[in-house]
Amino acid sequence: MVNGKGKVMIYLDDDSLEIRFPELHQNAGVRINFKRTLRLPDNGETYHLPPALGNFPLRHIEDFDLGENEHLKKRGGIILPMFQADALWLDFESINETGEEDYPFAVKIGTGKICAVSGDDWITGLNRDPQDYVVVPDQPWIDGYNVAEDIVKQFVAAPLGQGYTVEEQLKSGTTTGGIQIQVFPMKREFYDKLNKPILVDCFSVADNSLSVTSFDMGIAAGGSMHQEIYKDPYSFNAWDLRQTERCFVTIANAGQWIDYTGEEPPLSPIGAHEYTSAGLPWFKYYGGDQETIDGAKKLGKIKTIKEIKPKSGANFWTDSSPVPNPKVVQLGRREVNIGEW
Amino acid sequence: MNGFGKHIRSLREDLSKDSKEFSVRRVAIRIKVEPAFLSKVEREVVPPPSEGKIIALAEVLGADQDVLLAMAGKVSSDLLKVIKDRPVLFAELIRKLKAEPDHAVLRVVREVKDGEW
Repeated sequence: MVNGKGKVMIYLDDDSLEIRFPELHQNAGVRINFKRTLRLPDNGETYHLPPALGNFPLRHIEDFDLGENEHLKKRGGIILPMFQADALWLDFESINETGEEDYPFAVKIGTGKICAVSGDDWITGLNRDPQDYVVVPDQPWIDGYNVAEDIVKQFVAAPLGQGYTVEEQLKSGTTTGGIQIQVFPMKREFYDKLNKPILVDCFSVADNSLSVTSFDMGIAAGGSMHQEIYKDPYSFNAWDLRQTERCFVTIANAGQWIDYTGEEPPLSPIGAHEYTSAGLPWFKYYGGDQETIDGAKKLGKIKTIKEIKPKSGANFWTDSSPVPNPKVVQLGRREVNIGEW
Repeated sequence: MNGFGKHIRSLREDLSKDSKEFSVRRVAIRIKVEPAFLSKVEREVVPPPSEGKIIALAEVLGADQDVLLAMAGKVSSDLLKVIKDRPVLFAELIRKLKAEPDHAVLRVVREVKDGEW
């Protein structure tokens, strides 16, 4: 794709979505992985970070006959399989080929065209106040909706049409489903300054949309966990709003995935209780002294799947047993003691 | 011969079942050659025509121009320019991809499409 200024590459590499701006810089690339994980219990507790249990498979949507959902190919993008109540987090990885600083990106994340950071309707572009994006690599991942400072509610797959999903709670009308990603690179001149030993003043502070009947899976809110969403440390002018790439991620339920692709979807992970009882760790991320943003007011009001009375039938949520004394491993920006050797 | 003529003839005859626009004469006029020449190309009495005529044929017959050019033993001039600009790099790339399955080749070049949403 060529837009505002130069060539943008967006492609699948194994089960990762990679977006690169090669005319900006060799390092101007980000890899996004859709990670399978444990579903947190929704029992009033706020948990630590659950583990990564592999990537969800990703495929080009246009490769498959979608039957009565064929019109969804108009949205382009990719397709991934999730069982109802599967949990997911997004992992952001810088593509660094030169060993210089990682190239910063502003990344927007939406579910059903509701921003997971601000709770606002999806717009093309960035909004600083309230911040509707995360800054990569400062933000290494996002596990859920930004409901309060240091708390997110986990991304969990739920059927559309029953009122479970966040988009159905925050807007009326046709549902969209899926996950939306949009990436904006830092302007090259700002990146070049990052690579200089002393930073300069500029870093002092920091739709013409198509509504269509959706697939029948969307994203809803699950249990709570500790996760900080970091404030953009750069000036808003650092982001190159003329160069951007985006991707619509359609979610197929397990049956649809088998029908369309002929592949078996990955089985749902074991429960949080079983995982913890086996002595396996949870995680805590230390992001240094980065400032965080507040929870989004709109998202603070959303109900979790467990709290929803569906339009028909019974609520599908089943909580696993409480997690017994989890072992928590600290991750992140800790100094490494090299020692003597 | 390499099957180029037979392939063209087969494509054209399939289309001519539904439309008179695809007779030898009408197709020849559209690509600006003599009907007798197109007939000889189809019967493989003469070698395939020039790159420009093959591209015109691809447009008229709704065929992939790169496939037709390859069947005619030619490489399109834009591709040749790409290779000539960086011959070592592209020679290495093409040789490396030679034994790879289609999905591996697609992984190298294929982009995720965007649409309306």
